Amino acid sequence: MLYIELALQGLVNGSMYAIVAVGLTLIYGLLRVLHVAHAGLFTLGAYITVLLTNATGSLVAGTLISMLVVGIVGMVVYRLLYEPLLAQPPYVALIASIGLFIAMEEGYRIIFGPYGNSFASTWLTERVTLGPFSMAAADVAMLLGAIVLLIFLAVLMGRTRLGMAWRATVTDPAMARSFGVDTIKVRYGIFFVASVFAAVAGSLVAVLNNLVEPTMGDVPSYKSLAIIVLGGLGNVTGTLLASLLLGVIEAYGTIYTGAYLDRDAIAFVFLIAVLMIRPQGLFGAR
Amino acid sequence: MLEVRDLVCGYGHLVAVHGVSFSVKAGEALAILGANGAGKTSTLMALAGHVDIKGGSITFGDEDVTRATPMDRCGRGIAITPEGRRLFSDLTVRENLMVGGYLRSMARAKINLEKVLDLFPRLKERLHNRAGSLSGGEQQMVSIGRAMMAEPKLMMIDEVSLGLMPKNVDICYEALDKLRSTGLTLILVEQSLERVLSIADQVCVLDSGAVAWTGSAGEARGNPEILDAYMGGAH
Ligand SMILES: Nc1ncnc2c1ncn2[C@@H]1O[C@H](COP(=O)(O)OP(=O)(O)OP(=O)(O)O)[C@@H](O)[C@H]1O
Ligand SMILES: [Mg+2]
Repeated sequence: MLYIELALQGLVNGSMYAIVAVGLTLIYGLLRVLHVAHAGLFTLGAYITVLLTNATGSLVAGTLISMLVVGIVGMVVYRLLYEPLLAQPPYVALIASIGLFIAMEEGYRIIFGPYGNSFASTWLTERVTLGPFSMAAADVAMLLGAIVLLIFLAVLMGRTRLGMAWRATVTDPAMARSFGVDTIKVRYGIFFVASVFAAVAGSLVAVLNNLVEPTMGDVPSYKSLAIIVLGGLGNVTGTLLASLLLGVIEAYGTIYTGAYLDRDAIAFVFLIAVLMIRPQGLFGAR
Repeated sequence: MLEVRDLVCGYGHLVAVHGVSFSVKAGEALAILGANGAGKTSTLMALAGHVDIKGGSITFGDEDVTRATPMDRCGRGIAITPEGRRLFSDLTVRENLMVGGYLRSMARAKINLEKVLDLFPRLKERLHNRAGSLSGGEQQMVSIGRAMMAEPKLMMIDEVSLGLMPKNVDICYEALDKLRSTGLTLILVEQSLERVLSIADQVCVLDSGAVAWTGSAGEARGNPEILDAYMGGAH
């Protein structure tokens, strides 16, 4: 029973990694930029959700508004930060992104205070029992939230013409333009969707821990970078698999190696081990 | 239909085409010939909006499209089958074709998809394969099909026969012949002469980024020495 519960716990964390990392990988595929500040939007989403939920009494309203606001902020970040730097070598955008991430964390500290905020209501600590298993309601929300978002993404990218145009833009932007795809809109669209996903992930983590704090994006930021490398940079399916795999490995790892290896270190031990054997990542081509 | 006047274009500081002029009438096929590096691809890509235009003008229909974006040109009816095909290799054949018809309604795109499959029945079995996994000949068919999906008035095709097996060259030229008979205007860039001279009405020979000779395809066929002089013995 422990094994199954550990696996479930791993999948819950893995789903959170997935919805953060998938946005990063989409943006990397499109612009070849490592969007470190993505984790800053994750934190922003968490803050907005907690504050609005406490103000309105509705978690759903809080989360929806948070998704919208963060999605728009993501587009603004593209416009003001990355677009002017696209002609520069990629490390310029990377440094700018790290700078923005640090600035955002400091901003949250100044605006919301250093100690963190919590939800006023407490239904989140309830547990859901299903046969022999029992999970926190927040865990269930995380799993369901991730499944809904990822199905949405799969349908959008795989089944709609808009998604096809997005993927075409990733492979050959000039040719996509030649067939009428507005590749500038594609960029805004991808930043919007990726940022909405980050907001959902941030909100779900806020629910999971019943806490938001300025630095809550640190761990997701470096872990999602590790994940997209494992997944084969720019490869969406690979990123999803790498996220879930890492979640599960961490869950088992905390039991077996917890005494001498911190949970957050497992990701990097795993990353180093994989890169030594497969430098292109687990699911990268070539 | 298309009027190119004193076109100057290039890449950064490099000027690849110095003042090229030619025109194509509706329903005609123009062959642009020339040796390696003569500027054929640059001219075509400038017409598609992908190369910096530094001077001259391009008029399509009654409108000046010199500064128009590639999207805008697509909407006005200019489509390209580029050198090297440049398919969206991770997308399936069907998806490539649907992106070609991006500006058309879904209903029209489906009708046009049937037309493409009528022209290239071989693609029917390949519809759900990754475009990157196709043979060179099949990829060229997808590239022509993708341009057809845009419902162009003018189709520009860069070296359709390059690297293809003779059988596939035949299939592609037969398809272009059929398209031409529907009234589509064509610009064909080629290095190999025989096939293209059988389909073209007019010929424009480029040499070092400038027009070296223009005339009808009949004149060109009658005076092979003119072409020989500029083709670098390519045929
Ligand atoms: N992307 C580019 N960047 C810089 N220079 C280029 C680029 N593409 C072409 N050139 C240069 O422009 C000139 C014309 O090249 P272009 O490709 O138009 O010739 P072409 O007639 O199509 O030749 P080919 O028969 O080899 O395809 C050449 O000198 C070439 O080196
Ligand atoms: Mg060429």
